[in-house]
Amino acid sequence: MGLKRYVAKRVAHAAVVIYIVATVVFFAVRAIPGDPARVLLGGDANADAIAALREDMGLNQPLYVQYLRWLGDLVRGDFGQSVFNDQPVLDMLLGVAEPTASIAALGMVIAILIALPAGIVSSVKRYQWEDYVATAVSFVGISMPGFWIGIVLLLVFSARLGLVPAFGYVSISEGIVPWFKHIILPAIAVGLPYGGILMRMTRSSMMDVLNEDYMRTARAKGLSNRLVLFKHGLQNALIPIITIAGILLGVLLGGVVAVEVVFGIQGLGRLLIASIERRDFPVIQGAVIIISFIFVAMNLLVDILYTSINPRIKYGGGE
Amino acid sequence: MTPRTPTQGSTREEPLLEVENLRTSFPTDRGDVTAVDGISFGVDTGEIFGIVGESGSGKSVTALSILGLAADGEVEADAIRFRGEELSTREMSAVRGGEISMIFQDPMSSLNPVMTVGEQIAEVVRHHGEVGESTGILSELRRKYVTGTSDSSRSWQRAVELLDTVGIPDPEQRANEYPHQLSGGMKQRVMIAQALAGDPSLIIADEPTTALDVTIEAQILNELFELRDEFGVSIVLITHDLAVVRETCDRVAVMYAGELMETARTETLFDEPTHPYTKGLLRSIPRVDDDREWLNAIDGTVPDPFNRPSGCPFRDRCDAAFELCSEPLDRYDATGTDHEVRCHLQHDAVDIDDGEPVVEGSLHSRLDGTETEPLDERSGVVEPGGERQ
Ligand code: SF4
Repeated sequence: MGLKRYVAKRVAHAAVVIYIVATVVFFAVRAIPGDPARVLLGGDANADAIAALREDMGLNQPLYVQYLRWLGDLVRGDFGQSVFNDQPVLDMLLGVAEPTASIAALGMVIAILIALPAGIVSSVKRYQWEDYVATAVSFVGISMPGFWIGIVLLLVFSARLGLVPAFGYVSISEGIVPWFKHIILPAIAVGLPYGGILMRMTRSSMMDVLNEDYMRTARAKGLSNRLVLFKHGLQNALIPIITIAGILLGVLLGGVVAVEVVFGIQGLGRLLIASIERRDFPVIQGAVIIISFIFVAMNLLVDILYTSINPRIKYGGGE
Repeated sequence: MTPRTPTQGSTREEPLLEVENLRTSFPTDRGDVTAVDGISFGVDTGEIFGIVGESGSGKSVTALSILGLAADGEVEADAIRFRGEELSTREMSAVRGGEISMIFQDPMSSLNPVMTVGEQIAEVVRHHGEVGESTGILSELRRKYVTGTSDSSRSWQRAVELLDTVGIPDPEQRANEYPHQLSGGMKQRVMIAQALAGDPSLIIADEPTTALDVTIEAQILNELFELRDEFGVSIVLITHDLAVVRETCDRVAVMYAGELMETARTETLFDEPTHPYTKGLLRSIPRVDDDREWLNAIDGTVPDPFNRPSGCPFRDRCDAAFELCSEPLDRYDATGTDHEVRCHLQHDAVDIDDGEPVVEGSLHSRLDGTETEPLDERSGVVEPGGERQ
């Protein structure tokens, strides 16, 4: 199977996944106790006003009608309007997607930059001090939740040292440096736990590879140690690492949501939490769909990457 | 010092590879395991030299130790000489893959699954030949991860040529394939091409046909033969298969529990086996259609590596064992030239009387004087010449 057909197949697959997620979310938000009309109008609003608003929002119609209508709109790219402020949901989501994407991407880069070198050093120098240091650091990363790391970073680098701003977000369009200063701490906070796991994976994967017969063959060819490691070993070691990295993307995205709250960044995560509090059904649905879309898309990328570094696998699996 | 009949100066010319008193041990939680225990041999130019032994006898470790590839092993040797010159560890790593190359047992796992077979051969050409292509780490990594190896580079063309030499059809196309796309026999041919790529004068082949089926085995052995005839390379063939030895080797050494028991020309070994272990082996060569492990025919098991007996390691299984056998072993010349046997029966002072070995008076009394030490305190490894480590 060629790359094109493979991608087409996977995109269709992704569409099905997103449809299922969207449907589950549609019914799940309606199972949350609390009437949006009542929440919107406040606890002491009179019954007539609430009834009128419910009529207006279409909440009086049977659930299946609501569902089909919503689905029809969705297919046409219409995510509906916020019941809270009447803004189109899609605009609201796109408005907050940039900080979330920035933090996730930089967090991922940081995780990889830490995990790969540390994991490789750890495996080559196993049971020596380099390995113990790297292992200790990775366990710190794994065992502390991202938001907690975020709070500690905030206290040290913003509150005490004043190196970077503590709150808020500046768009990349207003300059790379201010943008970077605002997201570096949140990115570290999400990157460390993810990188910690990735480093352990790299270490064990590389250790397996070091024991492989083909590594001995490479040494028997008279190649230098570095060449044996990076030319013959690295790509083989990356194969399982990439798989795990893809599976753990959920951990990373979950981390971003919590970290946005800590750093007061108006991102997808904070919008989602605020919308749940307001029972703002259309926004909740839209946010979850977007997040699952990002997750599916990134996994597709991981799969393509995986296939391209492992010649034993053809696109679409199978030998 | 123990009694010793010095090995006579060989009439052969200087060997290509000479190994003197090679010892390899592996540290483990339970103490050191001695895998190779003071072996010496030489390999002549253009010769196929067999090292035969059961699994665990230390024959593979011997090969890896010579090349400096015994991963955690502690390797010591009085000398490892190549073309008459002693090689330091560093010099050995320069020669490795070029002048001396190696073919491994399992071609399925010994080739890198994520590199084309062409590149796996071409990189050897670049490192050991003179094709004027950079072998710096950056150039190599660029080739690996960015550009690939150019089809028009000399190293690649040489790789294609070598694939042709070892009998792979359609070599241009095959060079671009990955190991999993080739059959087992073809993979082993690729291993051979890879071993040839550095223009070696010596190839060490560790069980090169064990992982292959019988028809392919014959082809691969033939291939090795032709290499010797065409390029004059010497081959050290490590195997557990006496039938293979008989068909291919000029000389052969029989290895048991880390020691070379008997070294002789192949005809001599098969016609006049002298060491009791060799005799046992030859009695147990199975018929062609018999797949049994040939070693089961000798009663008993190999000595516990953590608790090796002093003296002859074959003592517990040997029918002919007698009083001298707990003494450190030495090399003796047996009948004819080039025939060395490590067995006390060959000692000058030992006579066979009525089928029973008899130790001559003088030696016997001297031995009595040294026998005061209880045996179980003497588990140390014993070297030829009698010094205990
Ligand atoms: S030295 Fe003794 S035990 Fe060893 S093979 Fe010879 S006779 Fe047998």
